[in-house]
Amino acid sequence: MTQLLINALIAGSFAALMASGLALVYGTLGVFNMALGQTALMGGYVTWWASTSLGLSFPIALLIGMVAAGFVTWLSFEFFVEPFFRRHRFLPLVTTIALSMILDGAILLLFEERPRSIQFLNAEPVTIAGATLSLEQIVLIICTLIFLSLTAWVLTATSLGRKIRATVLHAHAAESLGIPSGLLYRITFILSGVLAGLAGVYQGIDQNLTPVLGFSITIKAYAAVIAGGKGSLKGAVIAAYAIALLEQLVIGVPWFAGTYISAGYQSTVAMVVIIAFLLFRPQGLFGSTTRST
Amino acid sequence: MAYFLHLLIMAAITIPTTLGFNFVFGKGKILHFGHVGTAIVAAYSLILSQQVSGSWFQAILIAAFCTALISLFFSWLALKLEQDAFGILSIAVHLSLLAIVLNATALTRGALGIPGIPRMPGMETPEVFAIVVVIVVLVWIFFAWKLNASTFGRSLQALSEHRHHSEALGIRRSRVYAGAFLVAGLGTLTTNVFFAQYLGLLHPSDYGFPALIFMAMCIVAGGPGRVFGVTFATVVLILLKEGLRFLPVTLVPLSLRGPILLLLFGVILSVAVFLRRETIFPKQRSV
Amino acid sequence: MKKFLSTLVASGLLAACVTTPATDETIKIGYIGPLTGDAVAYGKDTLNGIMLKVEEINASGGIDGMMIELIAEDGRCNGADATSAAQKLINIDKVVAILGGQCSGESLAAIRVAEPAKVVMLSPLSSSPDLTLASDFFFRDYPSDALKSVATRTYIRDQGIKKVAIISENTDFAVAFRDALKKDLPVGTLVFDEVVGPGTKDFRTLMSRLKNTDFEVFFANGQSDAVIGAMMLQMRELGISKDAMSHEVAESATLGEIAKDAVEGMAIISVPTAGVGTPLESKFEKKYGAPQATIAFVAHAYDAMGVLAKAIDAVGTNGEAIRAWLYDMKSYDGVIGTFSFDENGDVLGIPFAHKTFVDGAIVTVNDIAVN
Repeated sequence: MTQLLINALIAGSFAALMASGLALVYGTLGVFNMALGQTALMGGYVTWWASTSLGLSFPIALLIGMVAAGFVTWLSFEFFVEPFFRRHRFLPLVTTIALSMILDGAILLLFEERPRSIQFLNAEPVTIAGATLSLEQIVLIICTLIFLSLTAWVLTATSLGRKIRATVLHAHAAESLGIPSGLLYRITFILSGVLAGLAGVYQGIDQNLTPVLGFSITIKAYAAVIAGGKGSLKGAVIAAYAIALLEQLVIGVPWFAGTYISAGYQSTVAMVVIIAFLLFRPQGLFGSTTRST
Repeated sequence: MAYFLHLLIMAAITIPTTLGFNFVFGKGKILHFGHVGTAIVAAYSLILSQQVSGSWFQAILIAAFCTALISLFFSWLALKLEQDAFGILSIAVHLSLLAIVLNATALTRGALGIPGIPRMPGMETPEVFAIVVVIVVLVWIFFAWKLNASTFGRSLQALSEHRHHSEALGIRRSRVYAGAFLVAGLGTLTTNVFFAQYLGLLHPSDYGFPALIFMAMCIVAGGPGRVFGVTFATVVLILLKEGLRFLPVTLVPLSLRGPILLLLFGVILSVAVFLRRETIFPKQRSV
Repeated sequence: MKKFLSTLVASGLLAACVTTPATDETIKIGYIGPLTGDAVAYGKDTLNGIMLKVEEINASGGIDGMMIELIAEDGRCNGADATSAAQKLINIDKVVAILGGQCSGESLAAIRVAEPAKVVMLSPLSSSPDLTLASDFFFRDYPSDALKSVATRTYIRDQGIKKVAIISENTDFAVAFRDALKKDLPVGTLVFDEVVGPGTKDFRTLMSRLKNTDFEVFFANGQSDAVIGAMMLQMRELGISKDAMSHEVAESATLGEIAKDAVEGMAIISVPTAGVGTPLESKFEKKYGAPQATIAFVAHAYDAMGVLAKAIDAVGTNGEAIRAWLYDMKSYDGVIGTFSFDENGDVLGIPFAHKTFVDGAIVTVNDIAVN
């Protein structure tokens, strides 16, 4: 059982990194970025490339990877979101699908189809309360929690955070108070990309990177954002961990008279639960019930 | 000649499902991304019952029933959930249906697909097949065109432009949505009656998310809600997709062809959206 | 990045020499495989393997002085695109034969186009047992899963193993093998049998369950080394030190790189000589870098082109003549072994071998006879 919780923590931390960035963007701009999974892969691949091909030490490689992920998201904002989202907030949904195809192609051209894994620490696994996990995973989980709390702290306790939240609540009102919403949009967008890039590195360290899974990563993260409540960072993070735990429980525990649910239905069950949950609570975990147009 | 016949058949087969989807996504502006899920239900219920009963007629009736059920389920979800939530969760429903097809191997043969599907009696040659498909599609286009201009079409448009106003004027959202999803279901059923028997194979890999992206592209490029525009765009995009096969090898080396095609399609889609940015979704901003 | 540029240049040069043959007359050979999408790694490996052979044949003067022109079409690992690809290759390019498809779904759909047109299809990779009886014009130098599962059974029996745990990826390649294995092994041998979604890389919870299962050997049945690597790493992390085995997908140098110690000692049931450390591999790596999936796929593709060239050399470009020649062929001495085709176009004579990772390198332990 402890092992299940640890497994959920490992899988959930990855999902939470993705979902928190999405929640920010979704909260401030109300747009979907369907290319975020590919951005995560970009971050992961560039980090891999910098550490393996350039032979840089891990922290510097990570930094380069994050800069790359941030840069890609900034470009996506300027070319695929900014010209569209003011006309209708659903337009970027279509344009970022186009972007995801372009990034898929670019990743294949730049990094090829082979799986890549990022070398980080190589230590023996440790056993805590009957559950086994590696030193890498402990570091990853803790780093994720630190990053998430840092983001939450910036949002709640700093002037920048207050401005972002003001823009979330009412962009036009915030603008009339002199808050530069355009700049804030860019900051949150790039931040989401950096968080996704971190998730990509996480994936590269913990498992391995392959160029074809961008889309399913994105969908899972969005499910967490929706279940968590529109634009709620807290909600998205909790939902991401909850979905991960649910996925582990689905296949890790016997359900019907000692038989297990087939592992092929792992994601299906989680998705069905989210749909059922949203039917009862359409606004999600921490969403508010405002009437949408 | 045979190749052009093939292109004609492929384009004709694809038109009903894009035109049907156009009512939901294009005209209704409903963020429905689970249309391929409906296609999965239509195709598998059709082919499985055809294999059991041996009769295409019975199979189509059963498939129509199943397709209607899944369409109504989607319509119910669309009414219950907020638009964004429905957008993401309709993808989740699609992927779940795909997972069921992949895992219920006793019934669907899972990832192996169902090979050796016979054609309908009398439709074995490509020429006859093409003629039948084209006739069916022309009827479909006419039906869609009529429907588009009918009260139903206008109600759907009104709801998409201003939901609360049109509801206040007495348009029943639940009915109109159910209608739109059923039409989309009928479209995808029509397509899938021909699709698997033309290929002689029913395989889950034909029902992935890329299929939806292609349909969304047809609608965006053709002008959301427009019957002839979307029909035209479907034909053009299928020709384009196939036309890219004729790019000279010297321009695009074989081993880089795949990624470059992806890049190209991405660029085409973004340009299409950019050109249509005013009309894809109605502008609804207020200060 | 550098490799990408050199690949670009190399393939550009290659493409140039493929398309500008010495004489106007060329022998056109079609290729269908996934060049985009999830399965792209297999498409790239098989295409590169074929290109390598085409280049060698053309460099040595072609077939009867005629150069081979390879025309590759994207089948995207699905039936619809494979059908379009086959239609174009057969009706527009008028190819002599088609090497492909790679995914079984591609092959099953494309053969419906190729058979009426009397064009031979020779697949280097499709392993689905459905293809055995699919058509008279369909051949493959890749063993049907039925055969591989016999070799696996032999190995399991010889090792005296009674309890096998298997996790399979839900793709036609892996699932077809699992089905065949399930049929071949004595009832009750598979004590743990799970199928996971394509591309799954989180196996921790399944492995936790596996830890509490009484088994002797774990079979990692993935379609890519990325998935097998994730399985093995997470299994070893949990401290499960029991034996593991896999099939030719695991015969990949990349797997050794990404999974390191986790795959050490893992048994691999694969064809004998297609593997790491052969002359083909060094030639291939010089040209295209390490294979995307595994060198075994490259080898099958390389030999498929080789046997087809021999057929054309012998009987010319008529599809029915090529078919007859392939059926009659006594044996072809290829990289993957000495093989021929049976009355269904399935490959005969591909023996299997038991290999394993030693210090990250793949070494052969012994051959496994399958008759």
